[in-house]
Amino acid sequence: MAAIQTLKIGVSGVRGIVGESLTPQLVVGFAEAFGTYLDGGVVVIGRDPRPSGEMILNALIGGLLSTGCSVIDVGICPTPTMQHAVVDLGADGGIAITASHHPAAWNALKFCRDDGIFLNQYQAEELLNVYHQGAFVQRPHNQLGRVGGDEGAINRHLSKVLASVDSGAISSLAPKVVIDSVNGAGADCAEGLLQKMGCEVIAINDVPNGRFPRDPEPIPPNLGELCEVVREHDADLGFAQDADGDRLSVISSEGIAIGEEFTLAFAADVMAENREGPIVANLSTSRMIDEVGERHESEVIRSKVGEVNVVERMLAVNAVGGGEGNGGVIDPQLHHCRDNLAAMALILQGMATRGVSIVDWMHSFRPSAIVKEKLPCPAGSTQRAILALRRHYEGRSMDLTEGVKVFFEDGSWLHARPSNTEPILRVISEADDAESADRYCQEALDILSEEIVRTR
Amino acid sequence: MSTLSADMSKPLKITIAGVRGVVGETLTPRMLVNFSQAFGTYVGPGRVLVSRDTRASGRMVQPCVWSGLTATGCEVVDLGICPTPALQLAVQQSEASGGIAITAGHNEAQWNALKFCREDGIYLNPKQAEELLNAYHQMQFTRARWDQLHPVGRDETAAARHLDAIREDVDVEAIRGAELTVAVDCTNGACSAYSPGFLESIGCRVVAINDDPELPFPHEPRPTPDNLSQLRALVAAAGADVGFAHDADGDRLGIVTETGDAPGEEYTICLATEMVLGRGDEGPVVTNLSTTMAVDDIAAKHGREVVRSGVGQVFVAESALNYGASVAGEGSGGIVFPRINYAQDSIAAMAHIINLMADRARPISQLVDETPDYYIEKREIACPPQRAYSVLEELRREIDATWAEEMNLDDGIRLTGRDRWVHVRVSMTEPIIRVITEARARGLAIDLADAYVRQVERLV
Repeated sequence: MAAIQTLKIGVSGVRGIVGESLTPQLVVGFAEAFGTYLDGGVVVIGRDPRPSGEMILNALIGGLLSTGCSVIDVGICPTPTMQHAVVDLGADGGIAITASHHPAAWNALKFCRDDGIFLNQYQAEELLNVYHQGAFVQRPHNQLGRVGGDEGAINRHLSKVLASVDSGAISSLAPKVVIDSVNGAGADCAEGLLQKMGCEVIAINDVPNGRFPRDPEPIPPNLGELCEVVREHDADLGFAQDADGDRLSVISSEGIAIGEEFTLAFAADVMAENREGPIVANLSTSRMIDEVGERHESEVIRSKVGEVNVVERMLAVNAVGGGEGNGGVIDPQLHHCRDNLAAMALILQGMATRGVSIVDWMHSFRPSAIVKEKLPCPAGSTQRAILALRRHYEGRSMDLTEGVKVFFEDGSWLHARPSNTEPILRVISEADDAESADRYCQEALDILSEEIVRTR
Repeated sequence: MSTLSADMSKPLKITIAGVRGVVGETLTPRMLVNFSQAFGTYVGPGRVLVSRDTRASGRMVQPCVWSGLTATGCEVVDLGICPTPALQLAVQQSEASGGIAITAGHNEAQWNALKFCREDGIYLNPKQAEELLNAYHQMQFTRARWDQLHPVGRDETAAARHLDAIREDVDVEAIRGAELTVAVDCTNGACSAYSPGFLESIGCRVVAINDDPELPFPHEPRPTPDNLSQLRALVAAAGADVGFAHDADGDRLGIVTETGDAPGEEYTICLATEMVLGRGDEGPVVTNLSTTMAVDDIAAKHGREVVRSGVGQVFVAESALNYGASVAGEGSGGIVFPRINYAQDSIAAMAHIINLMADRARPISQLVDETPDYYIEKREIACPPQRAYSVLEELRREIDATWAEEMNLDDGIRLTGRDRWVHVRVSMTEPIIRVITEARARGLAIDLADAYVRQVERLV
């Protein structure tokens, strides 16, 4: 592990550890590159509440102003709020300062374009070219941009989410909801939204101070406290946010973390119900999305992993809903971004209009278990490792859109691909039961590890 | 004055006086972040106060400085737009480890700079500045962990506390009694929000121009006579008893008399010295090697010594501290009042000169007339920074010093005669060599200047 760098400059942005690899020089350089890439204009900046956010914000402001860009600082807010603000304010681009579900020592920059959607792979490469070229626009003192604020961004976002659901139905159900905001960007707004929709709300970890009381990734092993509080209060369900408000996972009334794959399955079940058109999900997303497609006669289209890849496919096929199995839901009626406030609203609306509990809704899907593993892997070894896996499964049905996805006769599948954000290989398998999924994963991990060791 | 060629006027100056450059060319955000990290590495971790003057580029420079300091674990406290002496006083009075003033002082709007001050509020001295530069060049900065990063704090009271300290040091009753009308030109700089209000608070009637910190500089923000035509017109139109001009960051002061004359910024130190020695403050007068001989005459009249230091705020301040000066300052109009602190301070200088007018009950023109009469000639010759010290060394070898009683090599070459002197030195802030001469007679000062400028130009 020691040889693996903590800095990751890639198509999904710039990510590093504060105090090690994510330095103010690097941030200033990327701000200048982004300002140069946009060639002036207005840039909206939002951030999650990590303590390093302000240091990074200031470096961004300095760099952007020097290129002649002006900055609108929307402050601490969910990433989707920033993306909405880019559109609402007619800005030329946006930057989210957030390492999302990564631990507190990390931070990152995510760049978005004037439609509030993250840079796609080609645009991100153009930005990297500008950065590496190092010839940034430098405006003279009387052509520098200015800094402004926008206090209304969160409220505008919440109003849009509220208007998109049947709040009346949710109010009459008046579910008791426990929300765990991990002291992240969603802390104040999630509670407010749930109350406005007529829920009885119990909030934990609801101070947006960036001191994460648990690992901010909303996966079952991190949600013990939330499960307990759900049981203790006899709540109808629990929601767990990540640090920047894009991913969500659900806790049942029994206080069980049912897993983040259900988030998109539920939300898509609601989105596809009354809308005509395809659904887009990434390759690693649970087959439950296929069941949703069958239920509502919607085509399911699989994209590469990563928000922007899903979004671009959604735009191309005019999808009615989309997202990722990691708990990221995209409701295109609101905006083409992952938004856990929108996800909460959709799930609550589904419960209210169907009159189902989380457990019943869960059991409406074919039982399945998904196992997600990761394997440290130097970038130089990823390709050969994945090739080795392909050779091993030669003759089976495969999807090679990203890494390799293998389909088995019993309906299970295995997907191995390099992570976009970390120097690891991700190995995911879904089967009828956890043992089978785990077996597929272990087999793949063995093959991959062997190849990594061999090529090192 | 010689004109600087375009490419000569824009290099970056990284010197013991700080780092100075042209925004959009040499003073880049990356360099600002690096220098701030170097300073944070050098003084930190601890509290660092940051102020700025009103130039538009300050809005870009400021977040770069905050970010760099924060990344090293320093706790940044932002004083906003305020005079540099207010920052220096706040650093001295607080537990802060240092301060950064974002200001290019009297330089034009396209310039900006970082000036670094240490925990006693005095700028870094050459040894300290060298250590800072080593930290900068080494590029191995302290990198604080995520949970050691502090949010940027605010202190909006520093300027008010500074004004309180000045008010306590002058005789407000006497000033009030004199019922003076004061015209003031703040060059839309850092004093804009403070100087007119301060004058009112000590009982003056105030007419202010260029006191909007949002507007650009109306003229070069250097309070020399050629920049004071607006103020002279204002004094005449308002029938003011005196006019004062601040530079952009509130260290230098220029004067206009009630007759509308601008006698020159050398008079600022003369009048301030007369005031401080007249009221009996203890200690010698400290001034730099390029400042008028009139200071020697005034000190002699009051039976005091004059100590000459190198040119530059830190040399004057450190000498003032070492010698326990009553007053200190430079012929450029920056005066230190050690009873307040060791910063050059245009608002304090203004208050003391008004105090002198009130005490003596004489018009400012008469106080100017009573000052020993010398003629000072200031020239500058463009010289690439990498050549400047060699040129001076060559000049030293061939210079004609037969007429001089004393040759001082503390800061360039200063030759002193009975009634004249010449000082040739390298500017710390600009790529120029300065030649300053002074004599009783104007013609003599000019002849001296012509001769040495010719010689320097030949060597350049």
